[in-house]
This record gives sequence, C-alpha cells and structure tokens, in this order.
Amino acid sequence: MIKYILRRAAQSLATICLVIFAVFMLLRMMPKSGYFTREDYINMDEGMRESYLRSLGVLDPPLVQFKDFIGKLFHGDLGRSITVYPKTPVLDILKEKIPYSAAFGLAAEILSMTVGMAMGLVMSREKGRWPDRLGTAYAVGVRAVPSLVYLFLIQIWVSKQLKLPLLYYGNRPNSWILPLVSMALSSIAWYAIWLRRFMVDEENKEYIQFARVKGFSKKYITKHHIWRNALVPIAIGLPSDFLLIVSGSLVIENLYSIPGTGGLLVEAIKRMDNNLVQALVMLYATLSVLGVFLGDLLVVLVDPRIKLSGKEA
Amino acid sequence: MRKMFKRFIAVALAGMLLASSGCSGGAGNGAAAYKSTFMQTIETLNPYLLTGNYSFVANTIDGLVENDRYGQYVPSLAQSWTSNDDDSVWTFKLREGLKWVNDLGQQTRYPVTAHDFVEALRYVSDPAVGAKNFSTIRSVISGLSDYYFALDDIDSGDDTTRTREDVYPTFDTDVGVKAIDDYTLEYTLSGSTPYFLSYLVIELFLPLNKAFLDTVGESYGTAKDKLLYNGGYYISDWDRDKQVIMTQNPYYWDKEHITVKTLEYQKVADEVTGLELFQRGEITSATLTAEQFTALKGTDWEKNIYLSEKSPLTYWFTFNYHSDNPEFAAMLQNVNFRKAILYAMDRVTLSALWEPENPAFFTRNTIIPEETMYNSKGVDYTDQPNLKPFKDQIPYDPAKAKDFMLKAIEESVDPDGTIRGVTPGYVDMLPVTDFNVDGKLPIDLVFVCTQDELEIKKSLLFREMMISALGSENINVILGYSVNSFSEEVFEPMNFDLVDDSYSFRFADPSANLARITTDGSMNEGGYDVPEYDALVERALAATDIDQRYELFSEAEKYMLENVYLMPYLTGGGSYNMTHEVPFTTPQGAFGLSKYKMKGAIIQDTPITAAEYSQRKEELEKEKASMLG
Repeated sequence: MIKYILRRAAQSLATICLVIFAVFMLLRMMPKSGYFTREDYINMDEGMRESYLRSLGVLDPPLVQFKDFIGKLFHGDLGRSITVYPKTPVLDILKEKIPYSAAFGLAAEILSMTVGMAMGLVMSREKGRWPDRLGTAYAVGVRAVPSLVYLFLIQIWVSKQLKLPLLYYGNRPNSWILPLVSMALSSIAWYAIWLRRFMVDEENKEYIQFARVKGFSKKYITKHHIWRNALVPIAIGLPSDFLLIVSGSLVIENLYSIPGTGGLLVEAIKRMDNNLVQALVMLYATLSVLGVFLGDLLVVLVDPRIKLSGKEA
Repeated sequence: MRKMFKRFIAVALAGMLLASSGCSGGAGNGAAAYKSTFMQTIETLNPYLLTGNYSFVANTIDGLVENDRYGQYVPSLAQSWTSNDDDSVWTFKLREGLKWVNDLGQQTRYPVTAHDFVEALRYVSDPAVGAKNFSTIRSVISGLSDYYFALDDIDSGDDTTRTREDVYPTFDTDVGVKAIDDYTLEYTLSGSTPYFLSYLVIELFLPLNKAFLDTVGESYGTAKDKLLYNGGYYISDWDRDKQVIMTQNPYYWDKEHITVKTLEYQKVADEVTGLELFQRGEITSATLTAEQFTALKGTDWEKNIYLSEKSPLTYWFTFNYHSDNPEFAAMLQNVNFRKAILYAMDRVTLSALWEPENPAFFTRNTIIPEETMYNSKGVDYTDQPNLKPFKDQIPYDPAKAKDFMLKAIEESVDPDGTIRGVTPGYVDMLPVTDFNVDGKLPIDLVFVCTQDELEIKKSLLFREMMISALGSENINVILGYSVNSFSEEVFEPMNFDLVDDSYSFRFADPSANLARITTDGSMNEGGYDVPEYDALVERALAATDIDQRYELFSEAEKYMLENVYLMPYLTGGGSYNMTHEVPFTTPQGAFGLSKYKMKGAIIQDTPITAAEYSQRKEELEKEKASMLG
C-alpha cells in the first residue's frame, strides 16, 4: 500500500511538472500582439510596444524565463500578474479570490450531495411511482433546459418574488441563498439520477435476490448491500469534486457578482497573463491529479474487496 | 450568443415585470451616497497604468488644475500659474500645507509638494514601469522622450556603454521639470505649447510621493493601502471585482464642494443587472443599451431616459494600403475608388445600431472632434472654412458613389473587366479569411470586425450598402471576424482591407491626432504614404499663433478628408442613461480626468427626466455663453 502510494505520488509529480512546462512554453509561443488590448495596440507606436513588452518581461528567451520562474517558485513566489491585474502578486489575487469560490463551492457540493442522494434513495425505493417520476422529470428538466434560462430566471424573477437581493453581498446572508441554490440545481439532479440508477442496478443482482430469499429485511439489504455497492462509482469522483471547487463557477459568479475564481483562467488566457495562467494551471493540475489519487484511495475504503496493488490481490 | 439570449430574456422579463408590478419608481437616495456599477474589471489603482475606469483615480487624486462645470481650467493643487511669452516655460504655485491621506482617511506624514510632480514624471518615464499612455506626453516635455529611450536602449541591450545608474541623474539635468522650491514647480516644454493645461488633467501628470513609493515598491497601486490620496475622496474599500467605496476626505483642500459623502461602485455582469438594480431603487444611476431603451419605450420609465453627451472619441475606417488582396490593393490607389466607398456608406444607418433615437447626431465627418478647441475669435476648430463643408455635409449619396465607382473602373480596369496590374491567385488572411482572386471585376474587399453582436450587424449592413450602391457586378464584400484578439489576428498581420476603430483625442491641439496620422505616424494603421499631408502637418506644427496654427491644421485635415485616406464616421459617447444625479453639476471637460469627478454632485430623490436634462443643458449653455461673451 505504502509502495503504491509512493509510486503514484511520483507519477503524479511527473505529470504536474510536464503540464507546467508545456503550458509555460505554449504561452511563450503565442504571438506577442496578444499582450495588448485593441485600444492599447492602436494607441502605441512600434517603439512603445516593444518597450512595454520588455517591461512585462516577455522578451527574454523562454528557457531563461522558465529558469526564473522555477527559481522564484522555490521561494514561494508565483510572480506578479502582468495584464489582468498589472503588477499585483499572483498569490495575493488567489488569496483574495479562492475563499469566495471555495465557500460557495463547498456549500453547494454539500447541499447537492445531501439533497441529491436523499432524492436518489427515495426514487429507487419508490421506483415507477410518482416520487420517482417527479424526480426524473426534475433531472431531465434541469439537464435539458439550457442552464442560462433558469439561472437568469432565478436571478431576475425569483429574487423579485421572494424579495431577495439581486447580487451577492458578503454582509447579507439572504443574498447567498439564490447563488447557492443555482449552483446546486444541476448537481442535485446528477447525484439523484446516478444513485437511483446504481441502486436499481444492484437491486436486480443475484446476490440481493439471494439475500432476500434468506429472509433479510428490505431495510437491512438496502443499507448493508445495495447502498454500499451503489456508492462505489459515485465515491471515485468525490475528492475531485471537492478539490476543484476552488476553480469557481463561471456563470453564477458572474451573474451574482461573486468575486471568486470563476472565469479567471479564461480571462488570464485571453489577456495572455502568463504568470496568472501558470499559477492557476499549476493549482488546478495539482488538485486534479490529487483528486484522482484520493478517489482511488476512497474506493478502497468504501469497498474492501478492491485492492490497489497486484501483489496483495 | 449567450449574451444575445440573455438580453432577449431580459427584455422580455423587463416587460413582464413592468406589467405586473406597475413601476415602483426609484427609492430615495439621499446625498449621503452615490451608487453606481461598473462592468470592466478594475485592473489596478495605479493611476499611471490605467487605460479605463478613470473615476476611481479622478476622485481620489488631484493634479495641478481641473475643469469646472463649464469646462474651463481652474486651480486645483496649483493655486496659480504663469507662462513665458511663447508658452514654453510654465511655472505653478502650489497650495501649501497639504498632506497625503491613507486608505483609513488619516493624514500621513507625507506632504504634497512640487517634488511629487517631479517624481511622478520620473516614475512614468521609466520604461520598466510600463505606462501605456506615455506616448501622449513624451514629446511635450523637453528631454522626456530622450530619457525614456536612453533607459529603453539599455534594457534592450542596444546601448551597452552605459548602465541605468549612469542615466538616472540625467533626469534632473535634462528633463524639463523642476521643483524650484517645495511649492513652486516649473515645466520646460519642447516648444511653444499654449494648450499645456489640457495635458495637466491627464493621469500621467498626477503627483506621486517618492518616500511612499519607496515603501511599497513595485506594488504601488495594487491595493487600496498601496496608494496615497489627496483628492476629494479616499478609497476606503476595494474588494477586487466586487466593489469600490470612496469616502469623503476630511482633509481635502476643497472640502466644501464635496457634496456627496461616499461614492460606491459595484461590479455587475452587464447592463441588464444594472438596469434591474436601478429599477429596484438600489443604485443612483444606470447606463442602458439601445435594446433596453427600446424595451422601455412606452413604459413609465421612458421619460427618465436621457442620452448623454458625445465624446471627443472618433471612429474611423482605415484602408489597408499594403493589402495581400491584390484586387483591393490595386484599386485603392485610385482616389475615385476610395470616394465611391465613402459615398456608398450610410453612416446614419450604421449609427442607428447604437443610437436608434438620434443616429445622425452621433455621426462625425471630421478627424478632429467638434467642441474641443476654439480660436481667438471663439470659432470652433471644425467650423473653420476648410472643414465646415465636411462637418455639415454627411457624405452619403449612392448615385454619386456609383459615378465615382464607374470612373475608377474606367481608369483602373480594362474593358474586359481585368483589373490592371493584378495577378490572380490565392489570398491568405487566415485566421480571418482566405479566398482566391481572379483579377477581374467585381473587386474583392475584405471587411473585418469582431464577433460582437452589433459589430456583426454592422458588417452585414456595410456589405448591403456597398452592393446596393456600387452594384454586385463591381464590388464583392468579403466579411471576416476576429475570434479572440483583434490586434493579434487582424491588426498585426494586416489581415483586412477595411476596418474601423475608435481613436481618442487626448489634448487640446489638432496635432494630438493629426500629427499621429502622418506617413510615419503611429496611427497610420493602413500604411499610406502621403508626403503632401506630411508637409502640411509639418508647416502647421511650426506655427505658434493659435489662429494660424488651427488654419494650417485644418488645411492638412481637409487634404486628408478630400482624398479619403481614412473615413471618420461616428463619435464616441452618447449612451442612454437613467439617474438621480442632477445633470451638469459636476466638472466637464473634453480631456483628461475632470469629467469623472463627482465634486459638486447633487443627488435627488426622483430620477431625472429627459426634459429636465435638456432644460439643464440649455441653462448651462446660456451661462457658458454669457461667461464667454
């Protein structure tokens, strides 16, 4: 087990390093004019453009830049943003923005897990009856209707009906409700529909029928056999879901003016803010790799039959 | 697409809500706070690096002079000033005893002195700082440009004989700015500059305290506590991408004219949210899109919507004189072809995309904006005999356009339809477009814009105009769109035959733009070669008498317009607004930061009506006239 963990950790580290290097070099291969907005570009002459690029530090050879980057990285310095928030330390930006996205993401994740799983349980138990149909209708509805339609309707219309604020305000808890619910809506459906499906799947397997024949109560079977086995495919994605909440929600943060990280990476790439892109890619890559790794470990905990290394099996 | 869709819903909902709730009217906003919104991210608070969101700096840091509500230059941190006979040396007497204030509204130990203005100039003239607007001011102050490029040459490795340390001291000896004592400041300019005051309201001339700068270093202006304030307000709260709150500065020199206690701006995704906040009575003013305006027509809100003033920003079309498209490149040399395009384009219809209400008002046919400069007799620069015919006559005449086109074809196309001097071939303007040319009529013309919804409409209209006026047998308009970065995909590789863009007008002299569109000028995007025009500009630049100078410049501009080297067509500004702020109570000015100042603002309980707005405007005009008269 320890050996397995060490090997996986080494693999993960190699993956992350590769991603960082690739992204770093790709950014430097982009045309230089991308560092300018349209207005900047037409308002500067050739000499000014050149010296502006030099002030951004993007005219040095890429490998020299990479060496600087790594050197600084070991001192915990991610550099400064160059175009999105000129000269602001990237670390400061992340420190300001991540808490918003993490708080909303975490709350939304917990909300959708509890509500979604409860829904899934009820639906599988009431299979074919109205609670199941209602749940399915919800899931299909949420997934089929373009999310912008209902998200926008919630923001403008529901907020008016319930007299809730239109935007997020840190000091007004009632303004947290709508963005939170909006974030959870579609993942509630996800949890509900998959849990229902896995449970129904398990229910029809022979070992369950055998348990039933043995005379175990329905409740006992559900709790000790079906539930646990149905959870395995869901558990594998949980760590990633939780870790990646720091990447924020593009649409909802934008709608409710939540100053989180949603859209930050897109904006940074668009404006070619190398340092910001690097930091974000590094962060997200690390968390993704870690998420997959933890997912594997979690599955072992949920289902003891699964072994991670060949030898033990 | 997403945006379009959202707008559609918003418009539908706005209608629904109005119908159901009956408009509730704006709730009272006392003079305690002015609340508004912003959409564009505030990138930094560092005044010298800004390229937008100027209100935050305009209200928190004062410069030497500012504009009053009539647009006249009045003392700000400078109490008085004098200039020598040819206006090339300017001396400013500063207010004494002022101190910089921090983000808690406390006085710091740093006084506001003449040295702060010297240091600011030293700061922005270091290329490592990356002040993007530096080119606006670099040639006005004697020695400033040389200092900048001396440092730049060292950074780039072009000059290895010196180090930065060798060059630094030359700022004090060679650059024309000097603190004679703590409260006397002297600028020595490159030449006679009677319009120097219009430079001083530009952010690059705001003062900067060196001792404080040394404590924060590179982080200057990246957070509210990394900046000092001397204006009517200080930034008491800055939540990145969320809100900015400015609170009245208790130590402000002109405190009695600060009428509103706090200025609060919050970030919203778009105008839809802004309008909704306004209708719910949560903000003082909102800007509307043309669609929102149309949606609100016929409702109770209609009377509250007014159109704000035109700005000196001018939109013009640029022809690509080095186009990869041989058909267009060959035809462009023919002035009649350029005229054909000019007369075929209906700018009023294009303007209506943004301003459906009064589109003709927002067209501009001159390169230099009107109502920005007056000669000694009070005549507007654009009303001079050379320019008045252009200003007054919207050049749209399909019949004339067709005539010019036929003339151009007669001159440059063989009778069998072959365009002279064109080799058929493949034109690569990727990623924008690519196509094959046959070297025959119709002439291919590539028109490029962004994928913004209105821009796309504009391009379609443009194509329609060309084809209906000039005939599809003569012209074929190929539309191209940039995907991400316009500069990267269109401007830099010159992937266009025709584009339009906006050009700001930064200080009160025609040279601000006319000297930048010469053959070697930085705004000659199309790459034309016009020595006649260059000579005219050269001559105008040498003139020191204002009346003569304006006349010579107008002659140069006339040459440019007559020969259609570029085509100005629209003005900036002019958005639809609703507000509780009484109009024309705050500083106005064509240039710089004054127009963003909230000094003297009056907030009333009910939203302003459009009628009130026009009445106030008339009153202001009258007052202005009587003052000047």
